[in-house]
Amino acid sequence: MINFLIKRLLAIIPVLLGISLLLFFMLRMLPGDPAQVLAGQMASPEDVQIIRIQMGLDQPLHIQYISFLNRLIHLDLGLSARTQNPVIQEIWARLPNTILLALCAITLACVFGIPAGIIAAVRPYSWVDYLVTLASLFGISMPVFWLGIMLMIVFSITLQWLPAGGIGTWKHLVLPSITLAAFVVAFIARMTRSCMLEVLAQDYVTTARSKGLKEKMIILKHALKNALIPIITVVGLQFGLLLGGAVLTETVFAWPGLGRLIVDSILARDYAMIQGSILVFGLLYTLVNLLVDLTYAFVDPRIRYE
Amino acid sequence: MKIKRRLKHFRQLLTCVILTAIMVFWLTPLSGAAQVKELKIGIGVDADTLNPQEQTTTLFQNICDLVYDNMYYQDPDGNVHPRLLLSHKVSDDGLTWTLHLQKGILFSDGTPLNAAVIKQTWDRILDPKMRVPLRFAVSMVKECVIIDDLTVQLNLKYPFAPLDATMSLALVSPISPLALEKYGEDIRQHPVGAGPYVLAEWVKGDRIVLTRNKTYWGKAPTVDKLTFKIVPEATTREAMLRTGEIDICYKPLPSNVAALKAMSNITVEMPLDTRTIFMGLNCLKGATTDKKVRQAFNYAIDKKAIVDRILFNTAQPMDGPVSPKVFGYAKMDHQFDYNPEKAKQLLKEANFDFSKTISMRTPNGRYLFDKQVSEVVQAYLQAIGVKVELRTYDWPTYVAGLLKPIEESELEVFLLGWGPLFLDADMALYGQFTTEVNPPKGLGSSFYTNPAYDDIMKASRKAQDPKERLALLKQASEMVWDDCPWIWLHVEKFVLAYSSKIKNLVVTPTEKFFPTYITME
Repeated sequence: MINFLIKRLLAIIPVLLGISLLLFFMLRMLPGDPAQVLAGQMASPEDVQIIRIQMGLDQPLHIQYISFLNRLIHLDLGLSARTQNPVIQEIWARLPNTILLALCAITLACVFGIPAGIIAAVRPYSWVDYLVTLASLFGISMPVFWLGIMLMIVFSITLQWLPAGGIGTWKHLVLPSITLAAFVVAFIARMTRSCMLEVLAQDYVTTARSKGLKEKMIILKHALKNALIPIITVVGLQFGLLLGGAVLTETVFAWPGLGRLIVDSILARDYAMIQGSILVFGLLYTLVNLLVDLTYAFVDPRIRYE
Repeated sequence: MKIKRRLKHFRQLLTCVILTAIMVFWLTPLSGAAQVKELKIGIGVDADTLNPQEQTTTLFQNICDLVYDNMYYQDPDGNVHPRLLLSHKVSDDGLTWTLHLQKGILFSDGTPLNAAVIKQTWDRILDPKMRVPLRFAVSMVKECVIIDDLTVQLNLKYPFAPLDATMSLALVSPISPLALEKYGEDIRQHPVGAGPYVLAEWVKGDRIVLTRNKTYWGKAPTVDKLTFKIVPEATTREAMLRTGEIDICYKPLPSNVAALKAMSNITVEMPLDTRTIFMGLNCLKGATTDKKVRQAFNYAIDKKAIVDRILFNTAQPMDGPVSPKVFGYAKMDHQFDYNPEKAKQLLKEANFDFSKTISMRTPNGRYLFDKQVSEVVQAYLQAIGVKVELRTYDWPTYVAGLLKPIEESELEVFLLGWGPLFLDADMALYGQFTTEVNPPKGLGSSFYTNPAYDDIMKASRKAQDPKERLALLKQASEMVWDDCPWIWLHVEKFVLAYSSKIKNLVVTPTEKFFPTYITME
């Protein structure tokens, strides 16, 4: 187990290196000059050139990359071009918000998605099943920003129960969590349904039934446990996506998270900031995946990591 | 007996209440008491820097104004009032400006504001190693010399009449030298100035909080605390204004202005801005080198329709080459009213090649409905038989394309906005149309080249007499208006929606607002 952990953690390094390499050169292929953006529309060419030199953008690309890696080894992600603050500091200010929102959303999604999927699978092609399928279809196809604004109109403007945006209290969390969860809940429900249906058709379920076991016992203990592996995989992947993909929700609800920071940084061609945040996402994503792999062993004792 | 006792209790209680009330009254200082505890303002983006010399975004220059105060203040009508500077004197040749400071001003950290600080400010601005994006606006200043403790002298490279209005910019606001010593360039995160407010808290991506500067040299502000909430989505800002989560909504969506105006508890103010939106036409290359073609394009577009139907009247068609809000504006006698027939005839006279496709480019999301406006202009041009291909770019890519020298320039027709930072026509008429601002040296991307025009503009900078200057600026305006280096589109309005309880909010045509002395009902 320890060996496996060390191996997996070491494997993160080449992954991050790969990301950094791709990212570094892709960013620089984008048209647009960060020094110009920073200097402003009205700046003189001389001033732009000075900024370019200060940012090291006059150096050849490979030199820029090497100095970037060199700093990365010392855990220095550089300075944001836009704010001149250390990138780490800027990310650190927003990361807890992003993680909090993602955790709330994924919890909400699991709490509603898994039971809905189970119920739909237990009574396939019944009205409950159709209802769950229909609701999932809605959840998956509804644009996040539209759902967000609709929720805001109903719960903030009309009913005045919840704040429309910002952070601070638990009340601020409710609408963005629901908005984010809507898509994921649908995804998890559909996944649970199909996995459960597959398991419920297995011979050992028939055996359990013929033994006279209670239906509740069969579904929760025998079937669900075996259907859980793919569901965990989906939950893990979705959680990883939520960490990086909540841009629209963050924007609509004025949630000061990382997604918004990345978009602003791309628009300002803030190379250091984009590289830093994407690397952090990459790291989080691989860690979540590792966590998912470890959970497998708990759910299914047959899985052993050597 | 019982009644008597109750009465006694009541009397005791009453005495207590009255005594407490007196105490409270007595303890509250009568003068300088803030009337408003907190004012919440919803804005779209977080600030990058609060160093006034580095800031290029109007909104954050606005916040800098509140923290640092200004050398001069230009009111919405364009009059210049003393602030940190008491007065100035200009030499006859216009090359020496003597500035007199107010006496006894302290920064919020207690450091005195004197001539040495002003010199340090100018030295920092003029130091090419410092990041000062707007340096071009004061590029006429050669050096700053200390005369005495409260007097400095600016020596100029060339005369520049509107320098007093220029000094209303946050660009030249002094920073506390003590704070500069303490924080170095990190001052951008820890602003310390001589303004009515001080920075209390800055939560990245969420809010910027200012509180009253208790030692402010001027009249005490009426609002204790200003909270700038960062709410990127305009729809959300409007929702928060409606629910009372914020008191002021910065730039709501034009499409919702009518709905907001209809609400009794919300005031919508939208003064005309200094920013003009236009389609630049390349005067040195391609089909638009012919003046008749450029005029034809101006006749071909129904600018009134664009303003009405696309911009929901949050703009006004241009009727001169600059915004009516700036000094030097004059309404032009001849207007290029919508006339497709005249446009076609002019194209015929110019032997326009209808088989060629004109390339048009536009940014997306930089200005109000920029892409939609471009699409309509494209449609109008196609309606008179001109083939137009429209390309959309994000802002950084777009700017890179604007700055290429004429040999490399691919510009033919392109949408752009230009807003003078203070209420004077110089930055528009000089900064866009003189030969010296042609790319790559400046952003006059239309490559308008007219020596006669250059001479008039140079003379206008020398003219100390406002009347004489006004006449010269009018002459230049007429010349460039007729030559049409732009399709003259519209002047934007600055939209601000706020709770109707707020009175006396100052909203300026330079897209700024000052809540310093508001009252609340």
